[in-house]
Amino acid sequence: MSKDLSVGIVGWGAYIPRYRIKALEIASLWGFDPQLVKSLNIEEKAVANVDEDATTMGWYAARSAITRAGIDVNEIGAIFVGTESKPYAVKPSATIIADALNLPNKKLASDLEFACRAAGEAIRISLGLVSSGMVKYSLVVGSDTAQANPGDVLELTAASGAAAYVIGPKEGSVAYFEGSYTYISDTPDFWRRDGSPYPLHGEIFTDEPAYFTHIVNAVKGLMREYSLKPEDFDYVVFHQPNGRFPLKVGLELGFTEAKILPGLLNPWVGNTYNAAALLGLAKVLEESRPGQRILLATFGSGAGSDAFSLVITDEVKSRVDKAVKVTDMLMNKVYIDYGRYVKFRKLLVRV
Amino acid sequence: MSSNNVYVIASSMVRVSRYFSKSYKDLVIDVVNELSSSVGSIDIDYLIVSNVFSDSILEQLDISTILAQELGLTPKPTLRVETGESSGLTAITQGYSLIKSGIADTVLVVGVEKCSEFPTPTMNKHFIKFSDYEVESIYGLSIVNEVALLMKMYMRKYGYGRDDLSSWSVKMHSNALKNPYAQLRFLITKEQVVRSQVVSDPIRLLDMYPVGDGASAILLSNRGDIVDNEVLEIVEIAQATSQPLNLREDLLSLPATRTVFNKLLSKSKLDLNDVIIEVHDSYSILGYLIIEELGLVERGRAPSIIDDLDNVNLSGGLKARGHPIGATGVYQVAEVFKIMTTGLGGIRRDSCWGLIHNMSAVDNNSVGVLVRRCSC
Amino acid sequence: MRLSIPRFWRKRFDYYSVRISECLDCGRRFYPRRSICPYCRSRNVRVIPSKGIGEVLTYTISYYRLEGYEEVIPKIIALIKLVEGPVLIGELVDVDISEVREGLKVEAVLRRLKSEDPAGLIYYGIKFRPTVG
Repeated sequence: MSKDLSVGIVGWGAYIPRYRIKALEIASLWGFDPQLVKSLNIEEKAVANVDEDATTMGWYAARSAITRAGIDVNEIGAIFVGTESKPYAVKPSATIIADALNLPNKKLASDLEFACRAAGEAIRISLGLVSSGMVKYSLVVGSDTAQANPGDVLELTAASGAAAYVIGPKEGSVAYFEGSYTYISDTPDFWRRDGSPYPLHGEIFTDEPAYFTHIVNAVKGLMREYSLKPEDFDYVVFHQPNGRFPLKVGLELGFTEAKILPGLLNPWVGNTYNAAALLGLAKVLEESRPGQRILLATFGSGAGSDAFSLVITDEVKSRVDKAVKVTDMLMNKVYIDYGRYVKFRKLLVRV
Repeated sequence: MSSNNVYVIASSMVRVSRYFSKSYKDLVIDVVNELSSSVGSIDIDYLIVSNVFSDSILEQLDISTILAQELGLTPKPTLRVETGESSGLTAITQGYSLIKSGIADTVLVVGVEKCSEFPTPTMNKHFIKFSDYEVESIYGLSIVNEVALLMKMYMRKYGYGRDDLSSWSVKMHSNALKNPYAQLRFLITKEQVVRSQVVSDPIRLLDMYPVGDGASAILLSNRGDIVDNEVLEIVEIAQATSQPLNLREDLLSLPATRTVFNKLLSKSKLDLNDVIIEVHDSYSILGYLIIEELGLVERGRAPSIIDDLDNVNLSGGLKARGHPIGATGVYQVAEVFKIMTTGLGGIRRDSCWGLIHNMSAVDNNSVGVLVRRCSC
Repeated sequence: MRLSIPRFWRKRFDYYSVRISECLDCGRRFYPRRSICPYCRSRNVRVIPSKGIGEVLTYTISYYRLEGYEEVIPKIIALIKLVEGPVLIGELVDVDISEVREGLKVEAVLRRLKSEDPAGLIYYGIKFRPTVG
């Protein structure tokens, strides 16, 4: 199948909070073997400040995306925020970000939930909206202040970050979508009950039945439908719950490490849930050259994966420096200890 | 223009302190009783109450009527005044206006405030209400932060170190030792000022007013001969407002205060060194800026004259006498009255003139009153 | 309910980004926006968006304890001059005390201002952080 929807990424933006905590610091407090940390290929994770949340981080990334797109905000017809750390359980972050960026009242807007892949799904939805002509531009935001039960292995990686994409016509885009594919099943590998502050997960169950099965099926499905092979891609960006899984699934699918590493930020940022794969994509866009092909594969527990094939256009180079780059934010960091981490993440009960 | 003169004929105060066992009504009854015992019974035509936090803290509106009921002053008319930190002196100017216009012969002005009803962080939440809520308070920005910025700019502009600016507080505490109604009656050193808790760098705890309760009463009349003691005449009043700090041309000037001083001194040629002066030193840096605006010393040189200052804030000022917000202006008038007539504790001066200055926030508004001893 | 709904909602565009006024009669620019020029009293005033970028003129490290704002102490409060001209007072975030200095270039960012926890409204507004990159 080959169907050119004539839709592309018109602008991208990222946000990584300034603060970092070392994985070894968390590990030593909770009795995790340093070997485990090493084997997961994790170094440190980003921590949102006490006055940040998914909405404020998403705003920053979205603003950069719009700046890079260079478009009139009045032509944005939809905004979706993919998040599993909503400040309000009921009241969309999308409308706050939209009004903060002066988007027009006439638009679609909502927050989506599907663990870490909601923003990825929003991109697929945007492909349909834009290609049908229903909207000219769609703004997709993936933003999370990821939660983890203190002392659980997830705490080593649960991090904060945001990424945003303006999806629009292929003409004028920095990368166009060659194809997309989604694979979903009811697989309870990780979940958070309503009212629970932290998620639960199935540990090893989250690997094979969840992460690997869904990503492999989505990527293979994409390559089958669009007659693509691993060798066709210059970069491959996966959802990254730790620094090891993307390398494992990538090698399993036939990709080389050199194609995976540029988009692998987890060792330095942690798992930013909805922003994870999308931040990796942002970094790759900032390094890419026209004509290169990128595979993007998201994953969300529950479970599902989207796979996208993107081709870089001549537009990309001129847009990179129009807003803060991922590498700038990676380097703009300050380390905090577990005490400050607890304060920032509001893990203490205060009255 | 009426030919009514307005005289300050009597005053009373309670010591500024934390009165956990006394309500605002108790404090007002105390000062009014003291007033009555010194002047006997005088028919009061109007009650003016200065109280800032009546609805914020005391859950009370129309507080002047409630107090009139409590004091047995009904059916006389009442009025509550609120202009931020300068409410007290504004209340005096309103009393002045009622007499000057012939509406009233005698006005009782009472200032009362209960800042000890809640712990400090809660009170601080109310203290920031003197700035525009929608512009500053909602962001958690406080007046003490603004004053700290001023202090830094002043130090930078005139080349002062932190130590150089500690003399005001030291002087105020020294003055307050002689004032039996002052809240803080102990000496401090410059080292203690600099080592006290940081509030908003470079402002330390001993650079700013303490939190306390207070009540003070002033009796104004169109006749100076109905009491035995000496009286003062209110010769001039002035009030002015200004735009917030960030909109000002010169951030180190106090435009409303300057306007008030100019008006007060426009008709009377005075040697300020002979005047008993009470100014609004809510923060030591403001004390320096105010006396510079007054012209007692050139701009930037105030810290150098503090040690020799012997006619300004003899009460101990807001720093040591205290700042029971809405009552402060009334205290200032009571202090000047006593200093110039019967004596404030051991403090008594033969000066013919008194000048009182009360201000809100960083000169958001400013009020001034000029008084003259009638026997001069 | 302590935080008013309409009071914040009607001014949200002023809280969500830096908007300044320009007087078409005297030419002065100021923050926050007003409908009457504070300098010349003209009603001929228009709103212009600001880039939100400025520099720190001076600052203070505040340990002032305000009920409702005790999560972040000390706070860094700065006098900031926007590139468009107006001066405002704002809070600096994501910066260590040792990194603040006069002349520091800052940008306006959306942050949580206050919230009525656990069930009430969240107010969002502008704070300033050092520019990155």
